[in-house]
Order: sequence, then structure tokens, then C-alpha cells
Amino acid sequence: MAEPAYTVASDSETTGEEKSSSAFPEIAIGIDIGTSQCSVAVWNGSQVELLKNTRNQKLMRSYVTFKDDIPSGGVSYQLSHEHEMLSGAVIFNMKRLIGRVDTDPVVHSSKSLPFLVQTLDIGVRPFIAALVNNVWRSTTPEEVLAIFLVELRVMAESQLKRPIRNVVLSIPVSFSRFQLTRIERACAMAGLHVLRLMPEPTAVALLYAQQQQQMIHDNMGSGSEKIALIFNMGAGYCDAAVTATAGGVSQIKALAGIATGGEDFLQNMMRHLLPNFDNLFSSRGINEIKSMGLLRVATQDAIHKLSFEESVQIDVDLGNGLRICKQVSREEFEGVNQKIFEKCESLIIQCLHDAKVEADDLTDVIVVGGCSHIPKIKNLVKSVCKRELYKGMNPLEAAVCGTALEGAVASGISDPFGNLDLLTIQATPLGIGIRANGNSFVPIIPRNTTMPARKELVFTTINDNQTEVLIIVHEGETEKADENHLLGYFKISGIPPAPKGVPEINVCMDINASNVLRVLAGVIMPGSQQPVVPVMEVRMPTVDDGHGWCAEALHRAYGSTLDLMTVQKK
Amino acid sequence: MASASSALASFTFSSPHFMGHKVSIKEPSSMPARVHFRQLRVSAACASTAERPVSHIACPSSLYEVLGIQMGATGKEIKAAYRRLARVLHPDVSANCRNDAAANEFIKVHEAYSTLSDPEKRADYDRTLLFRPRRSFSVSVESMAGPTSSGFSGYSKRTWETDQCW
Repeated sequence: MAEPAYTVASDSETTGEEKSSSAFPEIAIGIDIGTSQCSVAVWNGSQVELLKNTRNQKLMRSYVTFKDDIPSGGVSYQLSHEHEMLSGAVIFNMKRLIGRVDTDPVVHSSKSLPFLVQTLDIGVRPFIAALVNNVWRSTTPEEVLAIFLVELRVMAESQLKRPIRNVVLSIPVSFSRFQLTRIERACAMAGLHVLRLMPEPTAVALLYAQQQQQMIHDNMGSGSEKIALIFNMGAGYCDAAVTATAGGVSQIKALAGIATGGEDFLQNMMRHLLPNFDNLFSSRGINEIKSMGLLRVATQDAIHKLSFEESVQIDVDLGNGLRICKQVSREEFEGVNQKIFEKCESLIIQCLHDAKVEADDLTDVIVVGGCSHIPKIKNLVKSVCKRELYKGMNPLEAAVCGTALEGAVASGISDPFGNLDLLTIQATPLGIGIRANGNSFVPIIPRNTTMPARKELVFTTINDNQTEVLIIVHEGETEKADENHLLGYFKISGIPPAPKGVPEINVCMDINASNVLRVLAGVIMPGSQQPVVPVMEVRMPTVDDGHGWCAEALHRAYGSTLDLMTVQKK
Repeated sequence: MASASSALASFTFSSPHFMGHKVSIKEPSSMPARVHFRQLRVSAACASTAERPVSHIACPSSLYEVLGIQMGATGKEIKAAYRRLARVLHPDVSANCRNDAAANEFIKVHEAYSTLSDPEKRADYDRTLLFRPRRSFSVSVESMAGPTSSGFSGYSKRTWETDQCW
């Protein structure tokens, strides 16, 4: 290829709208990067088509091996054996690690993976490394993802015989905006431009909207509004969404997501089979990694079998005289993972509640993702929603098909048969607000607000003659500001001296259809309609690494001198 | 640059315009003081709307006009009107005229929809419409917006096939 495979663009190039200058706009491809598997799909002019790699696979394992000088990923590289993945040289599960700091419990649970995830518990990036010739070679989640994305891009380019630049990626609902910037960075490193980042269940919702449209065209369905609950559980994340669909328009009414998935089932089971798991493998020598890998493969295999069988025999020799020989029943598996199932259940209940929808209002209930094969998952969704499950979708391909549809729609492609007369009206998965009234989080754009969105709130000073305020922007759902994700901060200066509570500090947040967040803040004094100082406009997130520290450092440096409070509504 | 200036305009003008409705629900007594204020804001919004290539909504005086429906519209009609407008105004579909203006108009349509589709909020809003001495206000708004705004009810006649932007 003439173009270097590994180009790093600046952050500013990764977002924003671009118009294609040619008469035939480039159709963006859809990519679903899963924690364990990934796939690529594209609108081929009449329908969505999944692309296959040279080994004829539509679903490819998400991993990168550092065994050779040039790292290679699961698109092009064929593992000689499943155990090779667990030799220490192969990095995977990056979707669980990207954009997280080393105090994050999800990072801590990743320490049982058969490569190095080192945490110092101070709120910085974890140290991640692959074992190559008995040397720990360091890498980052962004780099691993970029290597992988380059392979996917090359695969798509060779099949579609055109350069690929624009992509629509599916992402977990629970991803913070900081994590989204990390995904965009990985795409930029791979020479890809992100047209949209779509929460996974909303991609499924778009596919559902298209299917309902087609049924009307085939005179099989009615044109009335259909309300669907979508539950998606993969290896790393679990999401729920409620969509109201009619006429090809999918309005997302509510979203909810957590960082819990098949990986957690696996870890619970490994610890169940080998209770002193953590002690045994703490040293992480070559032998420990090998044993850990053997246990992982055996446990994964058993969990898969338990989806179809009532019980399974595990017999695995972990070396060093350690052997596990045990009969495990499905009931046992469900008992060990009781808490995860409860979390899934409450996620669905919360999503229905947020959407102001009763189970009886649902037209369809869709379960997708790798964990959708687990009988207990199917049963719990059925029992909460009081419905049989929708059968018209491939649970492993639905999300990528949805991103391909969005890719075509967002590229401005139309279809003579109306199959692309589609629209997703997205909602914000997390609330966005600022710190005020001490350490309170005051949402300005609440969770599940329709996008594009613009909201504003008025704040004021807490001290007499306070001439400066700090605007600290967070994202999340917790009432304490510092427990939410920090997106950025800036200071407004030049407020005319006045008694506390007099200056009106107007904070406006704006999210456009490309999900770009801007925070505007201005000061208005009573009796005037013009801002007294120029309005500040900041594109967020602005924080980079070590963001957990910034809020603490600000507090240490300034205390409450630059705080603000909400204006009481009269 | 254009986006920065329109952002500023929206910051100071169009957004409070909608907040204004909510405020007026709670404190109708403060209305007279606010009318003049809002008029100023609306006129500014009009000026910028006139320059926009995709200005479908001129300066509607009620949320019903935003959606192009009658005051007595049923819930179904409200939903249908919202969807029809979304398919025209949402920035994702108006690919050829993709800009902040499209987003602004969609936000207005969605604000109207979210109020009118909630029976309680709609009842509250209807009460404010009845008690609001708004005639002179809306006349002045229409005159400022020019003759195009009089054809506003033509909205409901638009069809998806003929009015799409791509």
C-alpha cells in the first residue's frame, strides 16, 4: 500500500463533519470492536454485507500478538492453537481497559488476564505489557486497538477496492466521553475518521427500525409505533435500550449500561474452580501465565457447554501438580454468578423506568451479544419484560449491521427502495453537569436527553466580591461531583465585585448531532442583558491522562474560593 | 467562525427563549416585565434565522405551530408530526445543509414535542396559552419575520418524499 499503515493524526482531525467533495460520497463502513470478537459490515448498494477475512471468517477474535517484530492481530494472524493466545505475548480485552485509570475496579479485575496489567492505584494509566522472549514489552490499549483497526481497514480496502476513511463504530453505553476520545485516538492512529460512535443497542435499534420498515413494504406489518427493549451483553459490557420506532425513525427513549459481561462470568467461575487463584498466580512467571491460560480455556469451554447442557465435566492439568477434575452443573454456574444476573435485571428495570415504559407497552424484546446464548440471561429478560424474545436477528451480527446502516445514512446514501429512509434520534447515556454547592454534581444535560441538545442553568457566586469562578465539568450519575468522570475545567475571571448571589453565571451545554460537547459560560449582571466579560466556549473533554488527579489538585489549590452555587428558583 | 458566532447567539438568545416558556408557567405575574425582554431575544433569533439556508421554522408563537399542528391534535398526530419534522430537520438527514441551524431547529421541534406529548406538561402549557396576552407580541414577531412566516401552516403538507434534503 502506498499509504503508510500507521498514521497519527491530531485530535482535532478525529471529529467534526466532513463533506465528501466527489459526486459519489464514500460510504462509511460499520465496525463492531467487541471485547472478544469484532466484525466489519458495509452497505453494498442494496443491503448490509458482512466482510470476511482471508480465512472466510465474519467474526474475528479481537487480539494482537507481539510475538514477532511487527505486531499482528486476529484479522490476519491465525493462532496455531487456542493456548497460544494465553502465552503472554497476546494482548486482548482492550475494550475493558481503554480510557481507564489504575484505580478502576474493571482494571483490577483485568489483572487476571495472561499478560501484564500493573496498577499503582494512584489514578494514572495502568501499565500493560506483552511477554516477548522473556521481556515485558509495554503497549497501550490505544495502540493495540489501532493495530487491530489497521488490519480491519486493510481487509475492507482489499475487498471493496477503494480507500476506507470514514467509519461508524459501536461502543458500550457506559463509556465516558473520555473513553470515546481514546477510541477516536485509536481510529486516528489507524488512519480512520470517526463519523459516529454508536452505543451498541442503538445500532441494534436501527436494524430493528429497518426490519419493521421492510415488513410494511412487504405488507406484513402495521405502520404504528413499536416499542422495543434491546438487551446486549458481550464479553465486556452489558447494555439496555428502549426505542420507539415508526416510519424508519428510531427514537432512543432510554439507555443504560454497565461494565459487566462474559469476562466476569469467566472470572467468577475460575475463582470458583480454584479458590486460591489470586495467590497462585500473583508472581506471573511463565509457568503461572501458562497455568492461568489453561484454566481460562477450560473454564470458557465449560461455560459455553453449559448453555446447551445441564452439566459438564472439567478435567484440566494446570502443571506443577495442580489438577482440576470437577463436575459443574448449570445451577452451580448460575449460583456463582447470581450477582451478575441481578445486575442485569436491575439494568433492564431501570431502563424501562427511565423510558417511562411498562413491560406491557413493549412490542418486541431483543437480546443480542455473545452472552445471549446463556439460558439464564434469556429467561431473566423474558420474565422482566413478560414477553417471548424477538427472533429476527442474528445476535452476534445485529450491532455491526446497525453501524453499517448508520454509516450509509450518515454518508448521505439513499436507496431507491427506501431501505435507507432511516434515522436514529440518539439520547445521552450519561448526565453532564458541573460541580456546584460544594461537592454536588448538578446535571445540566440529564441522562437520556435527546440529541442534538442544548440546555443551560444559571449559577451564582458563593462569596462577596468574588471575581472568579471555576467551572468543573463532570459526566456521570453520582450525586457527589468527584465520583463522576471529569471532562474538563476552566476559570471565568473579571466578574465585577458584587455581593454573593448577585452575578448570574450562565452555563450552557451543547451537544451536536456528531456528539461533540461544547460548554459555554458567561456572566450577566442584574440590569444588563449583555455578558460583562466575553463568553467562554470550551470543547470537552479537555482532560488528558491522570484526570482523576486534576479535580483533587484544584480543590487543594483553591478550596472553596472559586466555587459557585445554583440559583434558587423563585 | 460561523459556528462560534451562532453559538454565541444561541447562548444569549434562543435558549433562554425556550426557558422563558417554562418560567412563565410558574410565575405568570412576572410576565409583563418579561415580554419586552423576550421580544428582543426573539427578534435577534429571527434575524439570524432569516440568513439560514434551512430555516423551516420562522418564528412560531406556540409549540403547536412549531410542530405545524392544531391545538386540539391527538397524541398520535403530535407523534406523527414530530417524526415527519425529524426526518427533515435532524442534522443526520439534512446532509446537504448540515450545520448548526439544522440542529437548532431540531432542538426546537423536540422541545415542543416533549412538552406536548406529555399530557401533564401539555395541560400546563395550554393554560399558559389561554392566559397569556400574546396577540400583539406574536403579530410583531410575524411582521419581523416577513411574509414567509405566514405560510407556516404549510408545514403539515410537506411530505417526506418531496422535502428531503439529500
